[in-house]
Amino acid sequence: MSSLTTEGLRIGYGDVTIVDDLNVHIPNGQITMIIGPNGCGKSTILQTMARLLRPKSGAVYLDGKAIHQQSTKEIAKKMAILPQTPEAPSGLTVYELVSYGRSPHQRGFGKLTHEDKDIVGWALDVTGVAAFANRSIDALSGGQRQKVWIAMALAQETELLLLDEPTTYLDLAHQLEVLKLLDRLNREENRTIVMVLHDLNHAARFADNLLALNSGEVVKEGSASEVMTPDVLRDVFQIDAEVVEDPRTGRPALITYDLLDSRMNQTPTFEGTGT
Amino acid sequence: MNHTLQKKQKKALWIMALLGALIIVSLLVSLHTGVIQIGPVDVMKTIFGAGTDRQELVLFDFRLPRLVIAILVGAGLAVSGAILQGVSQNGLADPGILGINAGAGLAVVLYMYFSEGLNSSLGTMSIFIMPFMALIGATLAAVLIYLLAWKNGVSPIRLILVGIGVNAAFGAALIIFQLKMNPRDFMQATIWLSGSIWGTNWKYVLATLPWIVILVPLAMYKARFLNVLNLGDRLATGLGTRVESERRILLFIAVCLAGSSVAVAGGIAFLGLVAPHLARRLVGPRHQMLIPTSALMGALLLLVADMIGRNLLAPSEIPVGIVVSALGAPYFIYLLMRTN
Repeated sequence: MSSLTTEGLRIGYGDVTIVDDLNVHIPNGQITMIIGPNGCGKSTILQTMARLLRPKSGAVYLDGKAIHQQSTKEIAKKMAILPQTPEAPSGLTVYELVSYGRSPHQRGFGKLTHEDKDIVGWALDVTGVAAFANRSIDALSGGQRQKVWIAMALAQETELLLLDEPTTYLDLAHQLEVLKLLDRLNREENRTIVMVLHDLNHAARFADNLLALNSGEVVKEGSASEVMTPDVLRDVFQIDAEVVEDPRTGRPALITYDLLDSRMNQTPTFEGTGT
Repeated sequence: MNHTLQKKQKKALWIMALLGALIIVSLLVSLHTGVIQIGPVDVMKTIFGAGTDRQELVLFDFRLPRLVIAILVGAGLAVSGAILQGVSQNGLADPGILGINAGAGLAVVLYMYFSEGLNSSLGTMSIFIMPFMALIGATLAAVLIYLLAWKNGVSPIRLILVGIGVNAAFGAALIIFQLKMNPRDFMQATIWLSGSIWGTNWKYVLATLPWIVILVPLAMYKARFLNVLNLGDRLATGLGTRVESERRILLFIAVCLAGSSVAVAGGIAFLGLVAPHLARRLVGPRHQMLIPTSALMGALLLLVADMIGRNLLAPSEIPVGIVVSALGAPYFIYLLMRTN
């Protein structure tokens, strides 16, 4: 099992520090979701864990070894990362894109071996996109396209799967489809999944472990029932939340919320603009 | 469904075979057309060793080396363009637009300018020195672009913008030196810069061949890195690619290909842009297929352009670079209009 932890992580752009002294441990074989307001550093942290960004200090440890001391190719065999809204060159077919997932296992001219083809075929099947294998990515809908990208990440054959807002721009049904696919991969294939997600109810429904962030700091970590409370949501999002138990899933669900009074006062008023 | 890639590959191989056949046809047609008419039958006879001395001289010493150069240079520029388009994730990149051709051109013009007194710019040695001059110029241009574009790594868009700037600067420097030349050298430099393959002989072939024979297969060997670089830096890193160093290697290959091509054929614009584009339409963006198809496409286009340039206003010739530009510029404008 691959393990992922961070120690004393400090991340920033230029002189601006976004995250300071972050210590998190990603539990093996679980789904961890990172939630938090815009600009809290969720995406930055995910990208640093995936070595796409270099921390100013501190380190990310993959299997106990600092990530910047391992070759990027070896990391790619253990951890796949799907950034937000990826783009494929036009004209590329689904099969070709998914086969690029084999990159870290390839050598030489990059000809696909039998093993490569088997795994690409499996990834296409499990994500339900095998029927479009011949089609060009440009010709797919947003939901189909997202599943193709997940198929590419799966073809990488990694224990760890990191995703940055995989449901952005998808409609309700497609969002759920993608999350259920990831949930199934977690349960049936025992993959460790880390994702950044905006939708709190989805996060509460599918996460084993929630990381609630504000200003680059972990405000609360734990199960959905521990994190999805009015108190935590007030600290994290500055909202006055009403949380109930979802009658279908038994998980906490946010049914309605309002801005906190302190925040209300910041919104512009319309006095004096009337007739 | 497991056969999808093979099917596409098979189609690509057929397209390559077709392009190869078209190259051979153009080669044969080119051999028998020209100021001295040699009929198709006589061409075949001469190829199989049964021609007259005069026919052998015209075919083997005048026409064939020029056609071989057209093939090598066409392939070189096309593959250079394919690499640059992949690395920069921009379909409008090519060695001409990025200032690599201009860098090579400037170096060669400087060499002509300073060796003027030695009267050696057409000597035997200069045939072998010119490719190196062009290569040095191309490499310097590329290094300059790379360094100026560097900001915690090189982003593709900066690479393109800086390249266009360097191109303009080198173009200006070219004009300054050209205006200082004597009229005879000025003419020679102008013809060279517009891209021509006149008066090529086997020595030019010998000077160009090693570069193309080594670098095109090397580019194919790097095809899988181009594939993932084409997805953007983040995905390429996630897939285990050392983005910065692979990009540097690929840029170096593209620069050497462009430099060695420009050295013998001058500044042929648009070929490095158009050939990979047409190839991509035929076989898609997977570089294992795209690179060889681009090479064949570039060779074919330059052969045909050369044929047009020789015969349109015969007996006077139009430099092949001008023919390529005349055909390529409208295509470039069409591409620009389509991207918006």
